[in-house]
Order: sequence, then structure tokens, then C-alpha cells
Amino acid sequence: MSHILEVKNLRKEFGGVIAVDNASFVVEQGTRLGIIGPNGAGKTTSFNMISGSFKPTSGTIEFEGKKVSGLKPHKISRMGIGRTFQIVRAFGELSVYEHVLTGIMAHNLRFTPTADQHHEVDRILELAKLQDFRDVTVKNLTIASQKLIELATALATKPKLLLLDELMAGLTFVEIDETLKLLRKINEEMGITLIVVEHIMKVIMELCKKIIVLNYGEKIAEGTPQEVANSKTVIEAYLGEEA
Amino acid sequence: MKNNLEKTAKMKSKPGLIRNVIIIAVVLIVLLLLPQFASDYIIYVAVLAMIYAVLAGSYDLTTGYTGPLTFCHGAFYGIGAYASALLTLKAGFPFWVAFPVSGIIVFLFAAVVGYPGLKLKGHYFAVTTFFFGHFIYLIILNSVKLTNGPMGLRGIKPPESILGIDFSSLQASYYLILFFGLLAVVFLFFLVRSGIGKLLVSIRENEELSEAIGVNTSFYKVLAFSTGAGIAGLMGSLFAHFFRLLHPSTFTWMTSEMVVIMALVGGLGTLFGPIIGAGIITLILELMRFAPEYRFIIWSAALIVVLVIEPKGLMGIVGRIRGGKR
Repeated sequence: MSHILEVKNLRKEFGGVIAVDNASFVVEQGTRLGIIGPNGAGKTTSFNMISGSFKPTSGTIEFEGKKVSGLKPHKISRMGIGRTFQIVRAFGELSVYEHVLTGIMAHNLRFTPTADQHHEVDRILELAKLQDFRDVTVKNLTIASQKLIELATALATKPKLLLLDELMAGLTFVEIDETLKLLRKINEEMGITLIVVEHIMKVIMELCKKIIVLNYGEKIAEGTPQEVANSKTVIEAYLGEEA
Repeated sequence: MKNNLEKTAKMKSKPGLIRNVIIIAVVLIVLLLLPQFASDYIIYVAVLAMIYAVLAGSYDLTTGYTGPLTFCHGAFYGIGAYASALLTLKAGFPFWVAFPVSGIIVFLFAAVVGYPGLKLKGHYFAVTTFFFGHFIYLIILNSVKLTNGPMGLRGIKPPESILGIDFSSLQASYYLILFFGLLAVVFLFFLVRSGIGKLLVSIRENEELSEAIGVNTSFYKVLAFSTGAGIAGLMGSLFAHFFRLLHPSTFTWMTSEMVVIMALVGGLGTLFGPIIGAGIITLILELMRFAPEYRFIIWSAALIVVLVIEPKGLMGIVGRIRGGKR
């Protein structure tokens, strides 16, 4: 399998605080990668650097063999990296339909949306099971629905790689199961590579093929869910050293 | 549930469209026939109302649709007016060249100012535009050699006649401003409903998410800012050649503030709200001329009342009556 994303010696400092320290990892095309770690381990900071919101202090990020570190977020989005935010962000005044349509317009601007683009919105709404909320104003929906709308809008930009930052936080078990099904579908049928940051271990264990563990900005472990769950360093990072 | 939603969506659109067409037709007919029966004074007021309506509409493109709060629309209006007047007076351009050129000058000027300025966010940008507006006023006031400063710029010629229409008459000038005013409104209408308009709204709603889905937010912010400014510049040019006398006091911060108030009262981000708001406010201010000392006090109190009752302005009240979207 070829690499879609290659992160080399990534480092980010905020003043004296080192948020990410020499992290290196590769992401295979079509995989589902999980990034876990205690609070403040540098997961979201890594996402922000891959998507362009932050510039790395040093190190490089290559997407499909092209350097993306240092580019503006909209350029990186256009190259095929989509993302959702840890704290839900939405265009509150729009209807759900317009919200997803904006994602399509952002990548394929037309003076008026074409029939194909309208069909595309309907297709995405159906995929995300949002068709019942089509004409509802986004800000009036629950956080769980807004997260799904954010995901649907990211899908509308036709990403090859999707960064999901705690998509499941605050969802009920039923919603988590539904979203897991959706994510598998996105990955297996649409061929979109997924990187998820998540604190809910059920999601990580069921969804991910590979897991990376960060602690204090450093990568401390990497492997399949089983390998990581049994790793001594990981257990120590979360629970402290055995007496 | 799904069927209900579809039904309400359909019910809203069909009769709404017909009603809107009727309203627009009535307004157009009144505007077209106005010079035939109204006195010169009323025509003057109507011209002023139309100019302010387009100013408020173009202001809405920048602030209502794209988001950044600005307080310098009057300055762009003034730059357009003086640019057009000086091009005809000092460089000998005909109006029909000076008019588009003054619009382009203001567009480019706003782009040059907006590119670094729009890197500031929120209140910081708003305060910057406030001082920028005042700065332009001071330049117009003090560049005596160029603008004749506080003595005012006189002798501006009316637009040259074309197709046998003599634009020195009040009625012909009225129709000229009506024509370009409608053109500007139609342009704004299609712009805000286009794909570009959707991207602008996404910047207003959440700039970070907009950037993350691939919108070049800094480009579109500058584009909206300069386009709004350019239209204000064109209106300034029309104003200069209609009143044929320019004075810096027309372009103080008060003018910028009036445009902001008109847009707020009408309802930001609705395009027609600010246009209607501007028309109504210009008329009210004129009707209150009998009490010049009190009119701004009465008017300010009225503004506060409107905003307390309905922060979304007149269009918000209309939406409430119709039973707005869920």
C-alpha cells in the first residue's frame, strides 16, 4: 500500500510549551488511523498543522508526495484534506441543504449551482441520514446533528483524506453506532482515508486498523488496537507506572 | 415529518414569489411615474433616497453578507464623487468616462486598503475603518489646491447628453440615477444569490470552517469589501454630477454612520432590507426638517426602539409576520 500522508519530525512550540515534539508517522492509502493520548498530548495541534491552521515550528508534512506544511488551509482543503473541528463549527444561519451546498461551491464554484451539484447535496444528505432536516436552520439543531452536518459538508468537498477531531464526543451510544457505520461506509465505499482523534475507546478499537499514541507531544507507541492496548508504555502513560 | 417539511417549504415559495413580483412591479411603476406628478422638491428627495438606498445595499454586501463591520462607506462615496468631479473638471474627461473610471478607482483603492486592513478581525477592523473614513474626510477638507477644501468644488457639469436626452434637467437626471440605481441593485441581487454569495455568507457565519472547506477567505473578503466600495464610488459620481456642487461636509463620518444605521434598521444580510430602510429613513429625515435640532434625537430614539424590538430590523419584523423559517 502506498502512503497518502507522511509526517516527518513534526514539532510545534507555543512560546516555551512544546505541543508536538518530533512526531513522525505515515498513513497508508485507504486506512483508518486512530490518534489517541491523554489531554494535552498534541492530537488537535497535529490536526491543525496537517490542515494548515497552524504552521509547524519545524518538520514537514507531505500529502500524496507533495509538501503541504506551511500552505494556507484553503489550499490544503483543495488538495483533498477535509476536516471537522473538536468544538463544533457550523454556518448557523443556513439551512442544512445550503450548508452542504456551500461545501460543494467552495470547491467547484458556479454562478448558480448545477443540477448535478443539487443531486450531489441530496446524495450526501441521504448518506448522512440528514434528509429529514433538509430545510431546517442549522443553529436550531442539536450538537450531534451539527457534527454530522459538519462531516457532510466536509464530504461535499470530495476529500481523499478526512481528519475527524472527536466527532463522537457528546453523542449517545445509539448515535455512536450509527456514526461508526457511516464512517465505515465512507472509508470502504468512497475510498476516503480516515484519521480520527477520539477519547472513546470503543470507537477507536472498533473502527481503527492502526493506532498512534501521543504523550506530551511525543509518539510513544504505534500498532494495531490489540498491540497498543497491551503496550506497557501506553498503560503507563494513561495510568502511571506500576508501583 | 418529512412530508410536513416539504409541504411548508412549497407553501412558502409559490404565493411568496407572486407577491414579491407584485410588490416590485408597484414600486417600479411609482418610481417611473414619480417625476410626472411630483414637485421638484420631492424629486430631489427621491434622488437622495435612491442614492442612499444603493449605498446601504452595497454596504450590506460587505457587512451584512460577508461579515466585517465597517464604518467608512461614506468615505468611498466621497472618493468616488471627488474623483469623478476632478476627472471632468481638471482632466477634461466626459462624464461617461469619468463615471466608470471613478468606480474602478474606488474599487482598487478599497482593495489596497482592504488587503492589509482585513487581516484585522472584528472590532479592531471596525475601529480602523472608522478612522480611515475620518482620514479621507480630512484629506478632502485640507487638499485645498486639489479639492478646493472647505470652499467646496463648484462648476461640475451635468452628464453629456446622449440619444438626445439632456441630463441638465431635473427629470432626466432622476431617470439616469434611477437607471443606474436599479442596475446596481440587480447586480447585487444576483451576486448575493450566486455561488459567490454563498461563499461570502459562509465567511460571515464561520470564517475558520469556511477556510477549512476550501474558501480563500482573505480573497473573498477583499473582493466583497472592494465591490461594495466600488458601487459606493459610482453613486458618488452620480451624486457629484447631479448636485454639481461638492463640499467635504457631505462625506463626514456622519454619512458613513447613516449608511450603517439604514442597513441596521432595514436588516443586515437581506439586501432589500437596507435598501428599503434607506428609502424610509431619508424620507423621514426630510419630513422632520421642520425641527432640525430635534430630528436626530427623535430619530436615534426610534432606532433604539426598533433594534430592541427586533434586532434583525424591518426584514426581521416582516419575517415574524410571515412566520419565518424554523
